[in-house]
Amino acid sequence: MHRRLTVAMAGLVLSLGLAACGSDLGGGGREGDVETAEADGEASGELYIANWPFYIDKQTLPEFTDETGVDVTYREEVDDNNVIFTKMQPLLQGGDSGDRDIVVVTDWMAKKMYDLGYLQNFDQEAVAPAKENLVASLEEPSFDPEREYSLPWQSGMTGLVVNTAAAPDVDSISDIFDPKYKGRITVLTELRDTVPLVMKAMGVDPADATGDDWLAAIDELRGAVESGQIRDLTGNSYTNSLARGDAAIAIGWSGDAVQLQSDDPDIEFVMPEEGCILWSDNMVIPVGAPNPTAAYEFMNYVYEPDNQAQIADYNYYLTPVDGTQEELEKIGSEAADSELVFPSEDYTADCTAQPEPPSESVEEIEEEFQSLITGGG
Amino acid sequence: MSRRSTPYALLGPGFLWLAIFFVIPLVFMGVVALESGSLDQGFAFTWEFSNFSTSLSDFDTQFVRSFVYAGAATVLCLLIAYPLAYFIAFRGGKYKNALLLAVIAPFFTTYLIRTIAWQTILADQSPAVDVLQFVGVVQDDGRVLDTAGSVIAGLTYNFLPFMILPIYASLEGIDKRLLEASKDLYASASTTFRRITLPLSAPGVIAGTLLTFIPAVGDYINADLLGGPGQAMIGNVIQSEYLVLKDYPVAAALSFVLMALILVVVFVYIRFAGSEALMGDEADAPAKVKL
Repeated sequence: MHRRLTVAMAGLVLSLGLAACGSDLGGGGREGDVETAEADGEASGELYIANWPFYIDKQTLPEFTDETGVDVTYREEVDDNNVIFTKMQPLLQGGDSGDRDIVVVTDWMAKKMYDLGYLQNFDQEAVAPAKENLVASLEEPSFDPEREYSLPWQSGMTGLVVNTAAAPDVDSISDIFDPKYKGRITVLTELRDTVPLVMKAMGVDPADATGDDWLAAIDELRGAVESGQIRDLTGNSYTNSLARGDAAIAIGWSGDAVQLQSDDPDIEFVMPEEGCILWSDNMVIPVGAPNPTAAYEFMNYVYEPDNQAQIADYNYYLTPVDGTQEELEKIGSEAADSELVFPSEDYTADCTAQPEPPSESVEEIEEEFQSLITGGG
Repeated sequence: MSRRSTPYALLGPGFLWLAIFFVIPLVFMGVVALESGSLDQGFAFTWEFSNFSTSLSDFDTQFVRSFVYAGAATVLCLLIAYPLAYFIAFRGGKYKNALLLAVIAPFFTTYLIRTIAWQTILADQSPAVDVLQFVGVVQDDGRVLDTAGSVIAGLTYNFLPFMILPIYASLEGIDKRLLEASKDLYASASTTFRRITLPLSAPGVIAGTLLTFIPAVGDYINADLLGGPGQAMIGNVIQSEYLVLKDYPVAAALSFVLMALILVVVFVYIRFAGSEALMGDEADAPAKVKL
């Protein structure tokens, strides 16, 4: 008995060891064999959605469940594209999504995950009703020209979020380097938001910036961090700094400003005179997603203009769904007239689609930017 | 089972636990630390010792900062905890249990929430900072949040109970008759404290400082929430290497270097604390007294 126990335990240790050996961390993409997540009959069962904070109102999910009978687990677990990627990567490597059916990530991350073979193509027939309502400007993004594997959740603008009581006449990105606001500036830890805006302030067009341009902008930021001009680099938590009054100017996202206004009417989104960065966060279906049928049902549901209006009325981001403005007018929402939700061409004239660093220097640029965040030299 | 093998059998579960959840993961971490490559191309084992040297040379500032912050927090914890534990043990009377509960009470709220609460308490316009500015601890246009002070204060606050409890336990265990005997022999209160109480509570002090210092060096929540980029500790660097840059080998090497440095510091400390240097010529007094 005793001996058998020992043998069993030794076996356990050995198999754990071997299992750990077998799973190599990271490693090669699986390009060329992207699977399609087929829809199968009526949507039912459970649906797990991983999304960013402050992105959905309180009614949409219960109403969706009432209408379709699909139970939704909705987690606001995406605070940073890199972090959700690393969290899911060891699972995705083994073809498992950790039960997630829909994950919402920004354009560049969607492409990166797709290239690594971590995403599935959409069943085009199943998602056709949603695509019918997709606004024309988002139909052919460069990273997924036929929307084979991604569908926008919301789009947004990265610009300045300002406490106008503390900083009344801010209109340019250069203002974050103004000594008047020393120690009261925060910028985002998202490389592709913060650095392109600084490049704009330096007179460089981020759309065709070289690796050196990116590094020069990071250097500019480093100077401001070391002198104490910039107080902190943060994710979504910059909203707390603004709300507490610690930060006067933040590089931030358009929709957040509106949500902060309910507590503090002085907080506003300011379109910098240099323009903004435009991006979309996209719904994608990871490999191993257990219930793609329900995922398509949800996509089609939120792409109904009246359902979308409810979400837009809450989060004030740019809506990707045609006909939402009319629906917002019907319910008397102020979002219908907001430049943040329906920007005029004039308003976004100088904005740039979120750029990607040149591929040959992306690694160096990311390292430099991280060393800025962790205070290294 | 023979009588001789019983002790080993009793050790079995503990060893197995350590093997599965410590030794094996440690081996894999060591393997990862010697790999090279990237997530996109895959990592390969290449005896990449340079991961260790880069860890030290690129992040020496953060290593030094981590040890300084953790050291400062440990000293502050000790200065706050010892008198408090002393009071509870010797003057607590019937309130002893209530006081101990008060020490543990903050644990009922999660660590994260308590640290986030400090963001509000130490915000630039908060009354607490106004008071600090008024008494001149903080300059009039200065701030507390996002400075070294707030990170050290956060560490001190969060690890304080780990210092109080072991010191309390060792003070509580002191035989009160020894103190009476000392008094009978005309020792002054300070002599009694120096020659009886302090040496007998030394094990608690050592346990408390280790329980505070070791987790504090590797902490990243306090630096993340209460500090800015200039206060980043080594935990923040490991987090960024692992979660953002996905440079798993460097992250693993950093963890190894941190572990080695902590071991060295702790080893030196225990040698030092266990010798006459810390306790004066009473280093072996506890043994004598017990006889």
